[in-house]
Amino acid sequence: MTLFRKVLSVALVFSCTCLFAQDIKLKPTEKVTVDIPEPSDVALAHDGKSLFIVSDNGYLFETDLKGKIIRKAEGYKGLDDEGVYADANFVYAVEEFSRTIKLFDLETLTQQRTYEVSYHGGRNKSYEAFTFNKIKNRFLLITEKSPAYLFELNESFEKVNTIDISHIARDISAATFYNGYVWLLSDEDRSIFKLDANTYKVLSQWEIPVLNPEGLAFDADGNIIVVSDAMQKIYYFNNPEN
Amino acid sequence: MKRVLLILIMACVSGLVQAQVTIGTADHVVEIKGRLSTYYNQRFLKDGEEDQKKDRFKLRDAQINIEGRVRDIWEYEIQVDFPDLANDGEVDPANPGLMDAYVIYKGFNFMNVKVGYGKLPYSRSSLTPFPYSPYWQRAQIARGDLFSRRDVGVTLFQDFWQSRINVYAGAYTGLGEYSLRGNNDASGGLEYIGRVDFSYPAASKKREIDYVHTPVPLFSVGLNGRYANKKLPEGEEFPEYSQGEYGMSVIDGKKYVYGMDFSVQYQGFSGQFEIHQVRGEPQDPANQLLLGLSSDKTEGYFLAGGYYGQLSYFAKDIKTILSVRYEQLNLNDLADGDSKRFCAALAYQLKGFDAMIKAQYFNVISEEETIDALKWKEQIRVGLTLNL
Repeated sequence: MTLFRKVLSVALVFSCTCLFAQDIKLKPTEKVTVDIPEPSDVALAHDGKSLFIVSDNGYLFETDLKGKIIRKAEGYKGLDDEGVYADANFVYAVEEFSRTIKLFDLETLTQQRTYEVSYHGGRNKSYEAFTFNKIKNRFLLITEKSPAYLFELNESFEKVNTIDISHIARDISAATFYNGYVWLLSDEDRSIFKLDANTYKVLSQWEIPVLNPEGLAFDADGNIIVVSDAMQKIYYFNNPEN
Repeated sequence: MKRVLLILIMACVSGLVQAQVTIGTADHVVEIKGRLSTYYNQRFLKDGEEDQKKDRFKLRDAQINIEGRVRDIWEYEIQVDFPDLANDGEVDPANPGLMDAYVIYKGFNFMNVKVGYGKLPYSRSSLTPFPYSPYWQRAQIARGDLFSRRDVGVTLFQDFWQSRINVYAGAYTGLGEYSLRGNNDASGGLEYIGRVDFSYPAASKKREIDYVHTPVPLFSVGLNGRYANKKLPEGEEFPEYSQGEYGMSVIDGKKYVYGMDFSVQYQGFSGQFEIHQVRGEPQDPANQLLLGLSSDKTEGYFLAGGYYGQLSYFAKDIKTILSVRYEQLNLNDLADGDSKRFCAALAYQLKGFDAMIKAQYFNVISEEETIDALKWKEQIRVGLTLNL
């Protein structure tokens, strides 16, 4: 029984040590349920008045800033949509399964073009995040994990640079560009990271109390919007830097 | 020197582990994965026991897995484990040579259909993928000795309320891991299995460890049952080995199994509890499972079953999992006593769950000597597991 007691002692010390670990944590100011099953990413519309949300089961929605559905991309049924971004002309939806970026006309929300961006990593560890880096004038397409690659794409959606960012977090679930910085979200680490837009070095990070956070955006006032896939909710946070 | 060697191994492993490889078109994607694991086993024998042949290295996993998906309509999987393919004859139900060979059709709105060979929808522990476990062995109750873990047949399943509720029902040969070795048994009877599980406040992945430090308590409860009526014609026998280590994976007669499981995860802590009961009604009063007792005493049936409880903590900052497990098993209520074990596991993640150094300690608190007398009282397994 000596060994048995030793194991128990180590377990006790180990548990106590881990219980008191602390991180910088944000608290949501509000949360709302959305009528979109398994929402997997969110983007602020170019005019700042609405949100675009994609879902795992392959649908693209536009909602108001509180998640109420305004319209849906009719006739579109994608496969594992995991990333969304919007500019003045298009809404871009990224399908993890098919490794494609689909462009939707902003006015009609009808599909205009499809770009295939090949990637031979794990089926469910592929493209998870998409945004535009205004500092480097490149689209950013990021794989989820094992490894987490940040691909810089040109205007033709061709890979022009590859950066391994696996050291930042165990996975990457969303990306957005705001106020001159690239911001990343990690589902498994439940954390938001602020990155230098030129070097992609982490400048700050915060932990959020959200289960399965998959989407990240900033509203026009700079407040943080996080979408939870498992909870089917939108969480709102004050920007800790404001 | 040993320290240098260990650092070199760890560095190689960290660099080696990469994602699976995926090929395909936009509509059809095929993913190829692999798994390797090896451990060293050390037993502490009872007084008087001298046979130390189990103190050895073991190749536990050398697996190749091919998974495919055609749009969101078809899915398929073939998984093979080579160490057990080399084992001529007996199959370890916890880790058989052929692990999966099935197709799923999702084209119906009201249910999905899975046909082929694979895991049975019974027992949360059995359904939980083993690579995410810090242990080298599942709890005794869920290892496949009392009920099979895999079989060939058809499963109907559907989820509701954002996958918080999952319902499964199926029919199978009832021969478990031996079901592909020729014809069905001479009884011709099938085994029927049903399961329902419910999770709140969100759908629960089948994982033992709270590796994301869930910020809200996440609960899951499951109920499942299975039934087979396999009365062999006189003079017929089940295929060799198919009745398992304790002779009750399949029985000549009726067999009922029912069980409940509960899981919770919160802030890195996780717990699982699972309980099962087997009721066997052999058609022959002289069946060895009735231990040679008179019908007056047995009333024509025996009971077996047990439970396990497991508590774990994932220390994210030091990439380490600590887990303890307590388990009880009564192999036959017609015999005196039962078995009780304590286990502890420690896993250090070199690269998440894809590369872990795992150590498991077993302690036999008591054992059912008349049925399952062991030569050892403590056991340690230490090794490396790698998912590619």
